[in-house]
Amino acid sequence: MDKPDPTRNDTTRTKKESLSKEERQKQLEFQKEAVVHLNSLYNYALHLTMNPSDAEDLVQETYLKAYRFFNSFERGTNCKAWLFKILKNNYINRFRKNSKEPGKVDYDLIKDFYHSIKDVQNDTSEAESDYFHSLLHEEVHQALHSLPEEFREVIQLCDIDGFTYEEIANMVESPIGTVRSRLYRGRKLLREQLEGYAKKYGFNTDKDH
Amino acid sequence: MSAAVDCELTVKEEEGFLLHLSECKECKDEFDDAKKTKMIIKEKIVQFKAPQSLFNSIMELTSVSSLEH
Repeated sequence: MDKPDPTRNDTTRTKKESLSKEERQKQLEFQKEAVVHLNSLYNYALHLTMNPSDAEDLVQETYLKAYRFFNSFERGTNCKAWLFKILKNNYINRFRKNSKEPGKVDYDLIKDFYHSIKDVQNDTSEAESDYFHSLLHEEVHQALHSLPEEFREVIQLCDIDGFTYEEIANMVESPIGTVRSRLYRGRKLLREQLEGYAKKYGFNTDKDH
Repeated sequence: MSAAVDCELTVKEEEGFLLHLSECKECKDEFDDAKKTKMIIKEKIVQFKAPQSLFNSIMELTSVSSLEH
């Protein structure tokens, strides 16, 4: 009772004041280098787990680990790639631990999720009257997720997250040649799926060939 | 083919590839389709915004609020 401030504030302040200059420097740098990739990581986690709450856990774990090992991050290299790699490892460990079946897709959940954000989506519909433009986000998403995991993963890392082949090879721990061929085969499968959707709408997908 | 779509070819490889495309309709079509598929994924896969609560908890982890006072 003789303390002027509530205990909680006091503790917090002491803790903050005790932070060394280097620690504060590290925090600032971490925010600038790592936290800026939060949205990308969250989306990657969503694609892996197919579950928003698992995705949040996974991202949080990733940042905790990344912060702890931030000193080992090689400055000047791609921080996003580094974070993705950590997240992927976390994901693998977690599923191994829980012996849960990875890659199990809850389409209804994803569908609901899409509906809930549809309004915020800004549609980049171009004037081009291409059948692909008639495809719905959900359909493309489903097509992507219907692919075998190894194909889906590289397509995602390449087309959505814009990583180089070298970065992807490092992330999926396979040679670049394997990444290349998975991309090739994955895209081919994907195209077949998408054309299936397009035909469903009566678009003649052969017209411009 | 993938490497061409993803701009992963060296300048020399790309020259050779383009030369081949100018002579081979089959490859040209396939190249166009592959490029299109890449565009679709880029455009149509929705990127979600991470929840504010997640952002907050990560910022807390690396909080520098002591500097603001």
